[in-house]
Amino acid sequence: MPIVKIDDTDFTVEKGTSVLQAALANDIEIPHYCYHPALEIVGSCRMCLVKVEGMPKLQVSCNTFVGDVPSDKKIDGKYDMVVSTQDELVQQEQKNMLEFLLLNHPLDCPVCDQAGECDLQDYAFKYGNAHSRFEEDKRVRPNEYLGSQIVINHNRCILCSRCVRFTREISGSSELFVEARGYNSKISVLEEKPLDNLLAGNVADICPVGALLSTDYIHKNRIWNLDKQPSICQDCSVGCNVDVFHQKDQILRLTPRENHSVNKFFMCDKGRYGFHRFEEIERLTVPMIMSEGGFIETTWDEAIEKTVDELNGAGKGIAGIASPFHTNEANFMLGRLVNGNVGTLPPITSEEINYPSGFRISGDRSPNRHGMNDVCPSIVDDFASAVERKDIRFLYLLDDGIDRELNELWKGMLEKIDFVVVQSYAMTDVSKCADIVLPGQAPFEREGTITNDMGRVQWLRPSVTTKGESRPDWEIPMLIQSKHAGVEGLTDVSSVMNEMGKDFAAYSDITFFRLGDQGLPLNGKAEE
Amino acid sequence: MATIVKSYEPTFWDRLYLPALAKGLAVTLKHFFRKKITIQYPDEKYVPPDGYRGLHRLNKYPDGKIRCVACEMCSAACPADCIHIIPGPSPWEDGKERFPVRFDIDLLRCIFCGFCEMACPEEAIELTEIYDFSNYTRDDLLIDKEGLLGVYELTKDTNYYSRPNAGQDSEALTSDKF
Repeated sequence: MPIVKIDDTDFTVEKGTSVLQAALANDIEIPHYCYHPALEIVGSCRMCLVKVEGMPKLQVSCNTFVGDVPSDKKIDGKYDMVVSTQDELVQQEQKNMLEFLLLNHPLDCPVCDQAGECDLQDYAFKYGNAHSRFEEDKRVRPNEYLGSQIVINHNRCILCSRCVRFTREISGSSELFVEARGYNSKISVLEEKPLDNLLAGNVADICPVGALLSTDYIHKNRIWNLDKQPSICQDCSVGCNVDVFHQKDQILRLTPRENHSVNKFFMCDKGRYGFHRFEEIERLTVPMIMSEGGFIETTWDEAIEKTVDELNGAGKGIAGIASPFHTNEANFMLGRLVNGNVGTLPPITSEEINYPSGFRISGDRSPNRHGMNDVCPSIVDDFASAVERKDIRFLYLLDDGIDRELNELWKGMLEKIDFVVVQSYAMTDVSKCADIVLPGQAPFEREGTITNDMGRVQWLRPSVTTKGESRPDWEIPMLIQSKHAGVEGLTDVSSVMNEMGKDFAAYSDITFFRLGDQGLPLNGKAEE
Repeated sequence: MATIVKSYEPTFWDRLYLPALAKGLAVTLKHFFRKKITIQYPDEKYVPPDGYRGLHRLNKYPDGKIRCVACEMCSAACPADCIHIIPGPSPWEDGKERFPVRFDIDLLRCIFCGFCEMACPEEAIELTEIYDFSNYTRDDLLIDKEGLLGVYELTKDTNYYSRPNAGQDSEALTSDKF
């Protein structure tokens, strides 16, 4: 394996690794704009220039690869390549490149939404000159809509062409291109083919400056005000890793988080803008009991008392409906409560979309179907006939949430059952059929594990606090079960995971600590 | 090492207290003939020195548009965390694209350090020389955007940023020379 020396430190790297990759992997910063690990290398920004011993000019480190040198030609008899990122020449070059990039850049950081996470801002501060020698007027162009969700500010653009390569290589739709040449070049779309694919939101993320903006987040807040919570997207069964940016219990945006086993670097717009669905819902925060005329509010003690009474009265005729929208822990506790007598509602599906790069938007809109099937092994798909056959009198239903529409068949069936408990976060179609509604958590409030359709267990972390008197999803069936069976309850979600591991061998070594940010495959052996 | 401090033993003269009394009265007598520093507030108003940092205001351009672009530099610089801004797209077609939808200052938290006006890239927020804004309730000391623009209307004849040539550099400030 070749040995490369970067700034007095030796690194052994794979043959064919670029100098930039080798440096970044070893925490050496080389400023770069056009290089993105998921995209083809173009070397157009010239920001990552380094000095390579034996080469007459500075080299673009993203496009200079370390190879095996014959043993008699090694530098100092040892190194295949010797690189300097701190050379005086390199530093001068970085200053000059930044001066070029800033020629037409408006420096409107106070009104730019990228400020705070902008590569140009960071590098200009760290490597650039304090002054520009440019005295002429800056080129000024109006903003343009590239698609329904993406605006381009041409003045801020540094033409790194990351977005162009993204639409060519990742989404495969090739909407974007660089129009004209030289001073006149700009990112553009054809009028009849706007940037409206389901991955369009990613171009705003990969833009190193504030040129491409999502209309969803524009002028909403400043980045340093927001708290970032690593979590999992809950809008389909792929389970993309996301960062949830929130402030004061309000979610402002979702951005993809790097996970090479799941979503690589990107996420789809369904998930990205999906959180808006939950903003306007009328959140259920207190337990509700159905009495003559409608629902009335009640206390937790009374609600659980009543549920346990009904549970005792129902004898063997109890069943539960698990939900692929809930965490493994909630489904596991439900299975315990109803002795594994579990069914499920029909799946919510849409068209499955596959992109040439391998990115996938699953047809199953529920995030945790795999996990639900794992922890509720005796699940019945055809629940309707089971109700007829087994004489179900008590039904505990984990509600899928606001996406669930209930058809007449199911409504009729829920009517027939004597006592229906629904655990939900809003007055959905399902909640309206209930005899008692227990307020659980909404998406982004939940904590636990979810298993994506490839069998990878991931840590779903809460981004916002649970509203009102609502309780964690796993806690409600646990309270009822412990009261019903007269056993001591579990204290936290980790102890539920522990219990789950005892019952299901595949989950036996799953802990939050082991899951971390990247999750674990179900067979227990880490891939990396 | 410990040191022994001996307490002062008053002498006979000290214990009479007459010399001390005379000394004190001499001071009082001296101030009799000095210039008075008491002012008859509120009939007579105290004029603070130049650079005094009092109540905030939000400046406007001569055409009535709000200068503030809701960049939140002031709230980031604020050591007391008393400035709360909600930005949004500006209602005016021409000019700046950002605009404060809400701009609230908690005057109870504010320590009047002036960091906000130093941080402001648009010279939009400014501390005036108004010092008498006490109130009966805490709620009335939360000043919002309308309140801050109201303060500007009261004090718009004075430019606290550049006192010597007030109003003369507004041309340079209005032109968007980015």
